[in-house]
Amino acid sequence: MDARLRRVNKEIADCKNDKTSNIQIELIDENPFHLKGSFPGPEGTPYQGGHFEVDIVIPESYPFQPVKMKFLTKVYHPNVSSASGAICLDILKDAWSPVLTLKSTLISLQSLLCSPEPNDPQDAEVAKHYTTSKNSFDETATYWTQIYAGGPGAKEKKGKSAASKAEARDEVAIAGLEKAHVDQFEALGFPRSKVIDVLRRLNYRGANVAKLTDDRVVEELLK
Amino acid sequence: MKVKVKSWHAVAHWRWDTGAPEQDDPDGEGDVCGICRVPYEGCCPSCKMPGDDCPLIWGECTHVFHMHCLLKWIGTPASKQQCPMDRRTWVTAERKVGGAAPS
Repeated sequence: MDARLRRVNKEIADCKNDKTSNIQIELIDENPFHLKGSFPGPEGTPYQGGHFEVDIVIPESYPFQPVKMKFLTKVYHPNVSSASGAICLDILKDAWSPVLTLKSTLISLQSLLCSPEPNDPQDAEVAKHYTTSKNSFDETATYWTQIYAGGPGAKEKKGKSAASKAEARDEVAIAGLEKAHVDQFEALGFPRSKVIDVLRRLNYRGANVAKLTDDRVVEELLK
Repeated sequence: MKVKVKSWHAVAHWRWDTGAPEQDDPDGEGDVCGICRVPYEGCCPSCKMPGDDCPLIWGECTHVFHMHCLLKWIGTPASKQQCPMDRRTWVTAERKVGGAAPS
């Protein structure tokens, strides 16, 4: 049997036998080199309570080349692209070693959620949010965990019906902005989605709000 | 009662002397090469037979691999010539010269 297949099969079996790590690896279809991993969000972080899924592609020359991983679940994190789920982590690139495994790599992703590296961002806008206002960042990341990763939400705690849970997602909260700020510029006659887009791009949050004049924002809105 | 031995089969057991103590072996496999995950006493994925033709290699950092696995890794630019375990520059330790005799 091909060495790569043998090693991958072993890794999947090892992960199944390990009841303590909470890391899961499953097949998507017949292809043993395209897998889905998942793990719970680490406790004490905005990702707590969420269930995060990762797309795993095992390259031809594995384990001599790093495994390819990206988040399937949307994650609000400086080192994860909020659009594509692409991950910036050294061991997935030049710091890969053949002694790393699917399980150990997934554990590294889990710990990346605990310790963001905003100075080496994958998503520059999210990283700016993180460095400008940690509290506001945490709120947004928690909201994303709630709506995308099935994290515990205030709404569910109150026991509302399934119908109301499906209510429209709060675009302002997803963008990590303040409703008052969005309302303020929308009142000038700009479409709401454009206002959200521009304010997010300008990082209109925390101490940055005072630095950005209204004229500057309007100038961007008019572009 | 007289027993006449018509034929007999000798059974031997061997293991590389890695210097590691004989541990109890939860998965019954012994230590595995960190690169291919096959037991030291097996062989690397490119060989068919275990033994002297597929020996182990020791680093000065004390880490052990199938020689063929380690050389394949060191031959990749991505390795930066480092030990896969500790990322120190790989220096082959003396003892591999001639290989550790199977014990």
